[in-house]
Amino acid sequence: MIDVNAYLGHFAFRQLRHNTAAGLLRLMDRKGIERAVVSSAAAITYRNAQPGNEEVAAEVRGHRDRLIPFAVLNPAYADWRHDFRVCSEEFGVRGLRLYPHWHGYSLTGEACLELVRAAAARRMPVSVPFRVEDRRQQSRLVDVADVSQEEAIAVARAVPEAQFIFGNGSGFVSSALGKRDSGLAANYSIEISLLTALIANEIGQLIQNLGEDRILFGSGMPFHYPDGALLKLEVLEASAGVKAKIAEGNARRLLGL
Amino acid sequence: MTRRDLVAGLLGTNVAAGVQAKRGKVIDAHNHLNFHNRPGWAEDDRKLIEAADKLGIDQLCCSILPPERPTTLEGFRLSNRWLAEAMGRFRGRVLGYCFVNPGYGQEAVDEVRRYVEEHGFIGVKLYNDFRVTDPKVAPIIELAARLRVPILHHAGHASWLPSPQPNISDAGDIARAASAHPETTFICAHICGGGDWEWSIKALRDARGVYFDTSGSVADEGTVELAVRTLGAERVLFACDLSMTASVGRVRGAEISEGDRRKVMGENMQRILARRGA
Repeated sequence: MIDVNAYLGHFAFRQLRHNTAAGLLRLMDRKGIERAVVSSAAAITYRNAQPGNEEVAAEVRGHRDRLIPFAVLNPAYADWRHDFRVCSEEFGVRGLRLYPHWHGYSLTGEACLELVRAAAARRMPVSVPFRVEDRRQQSRLVDVADVSQEEAIAVARAVPEAQFIFGNGSGFVSSALGKRDSGLAANYSIEISLLTALIANEIGQLIQNLGEDRILFGSGMPFHYPDGALLKLEVLEASAGVKAKIAEGNARRLLGL
Repeated sequence: MTRRDLVAGLLGTNVAAGVQAKRGKVIDAHNHLNFHNRPGWAEDDRKLIEAADKLGIDQLCCSILPPERPTTLEGFRLSNRWLAEAMGRFRGRVLGYCFVNPGYGQEAVDEVRRYVEEHGFIGVKLYNDFRVTDPKVAPIIELAARLRVPILHHAGHASWLPSPQPNISDAGDIARAASAHPETTFICAHICGGGDWEWSIKALRDARGVYFDTSGSVADEGTVELAVRTLGAERVLFACDLSMTASVGRVRGAEISEGDRRKVMGENMQRILARRGA
């Protein structure tokens, strides 16, 4: 099982547990999660995100067989091209993680499109979480709206050669992202941590509409209990083969593992 | 995976492997059936029960909320009538909270008394028509104490975001109401569905007559542990409020003792229900 949505490090506004490499691996062992894509939680609120990537690179050293680093990059910040090169060539990150609303840029702004194209050229997926926290519980110091489905559609259209992971979101079936025959390229996958598997069953609807190859297991740990996402897979009405793709196969292909 | 396997995981025991564990009844303290204002309501009610089956939930304490605000007399009367009918359809699975708008005074009081005494409803559900500390709510609070049933009160505490619900109560309001009405049992709704959950849990630390339900869509790690540590496991109630896998997952994943998990999953709610003999 591969979790495409995990973090290491501290978050500015809430204590996280299991947020070191050793702690996360212990949690993963207890939950039966073999590998996880990790990125810096601290870099979400660092003005300069790069030290967050340095922290993650140091944490995953010796654990690269299980922890797969993604870099948090801010294309609105000075020297991001240098940071991208360091993360790609020295830290060996497998993909990018973008927080446009936390860092103050547009996904379809010139600099961000340049970054996404550079990632695509290196066959690195670009992960865009729609939210970090539920907006109702955000600190008084911040006012960060969720990334909208429209923003995600726009960047997916603007860089068709890129591969995106849209996660920490829901309501995809109400937009073109989750509809069959929407005219969008198949250059994005959707992560399940905040989707339903029962009653409205958005995961089932997305499998119907997009196909089973574009749904990815992710939990949001250690911000989230991983158990909710694991339970979604358990109760999902789907064949063992489809569940295996969601749990691991699709991520393996996307990440080139 | 079967329901037995799932429950085994939920309670941290290994029923599937043949290790017979004592499993208590699993009771969802806060959920909803659907108002009959759209064609799919019956199907969605059925899906909720199917979800409970898959997740090993034995009983669901439900209300039906009409869509319009402020709630009208006709709206809550229809809700309670339809819920009583649903309790017949899902006999033994669905337990009923009587939903009223306290602004209707004696008519609201009469509605609660009738549905508890004549239809076996197990409690009162209040939403955001009035803040719980508003004097208009007091007659309902006092009646709930006399009937020995709990009040499940909608609540939320956003850090700064202006609420679209001007009369929403927060955990601090419910603590104040409990202090003013120590004979009444309150259940503060959804730790994980109402904003800053750390604030809400801490606001209830000294409110001994208030339980906190664990429902909501927010999947944050640590919520159940903080609630158990701050309030004591005896004051925490498992609930879903339609967020089924997130809600079961958080109690399944919480790092608490198995004894505390059993209290949260059903023993505490059974104790509340026993006060009326439900």
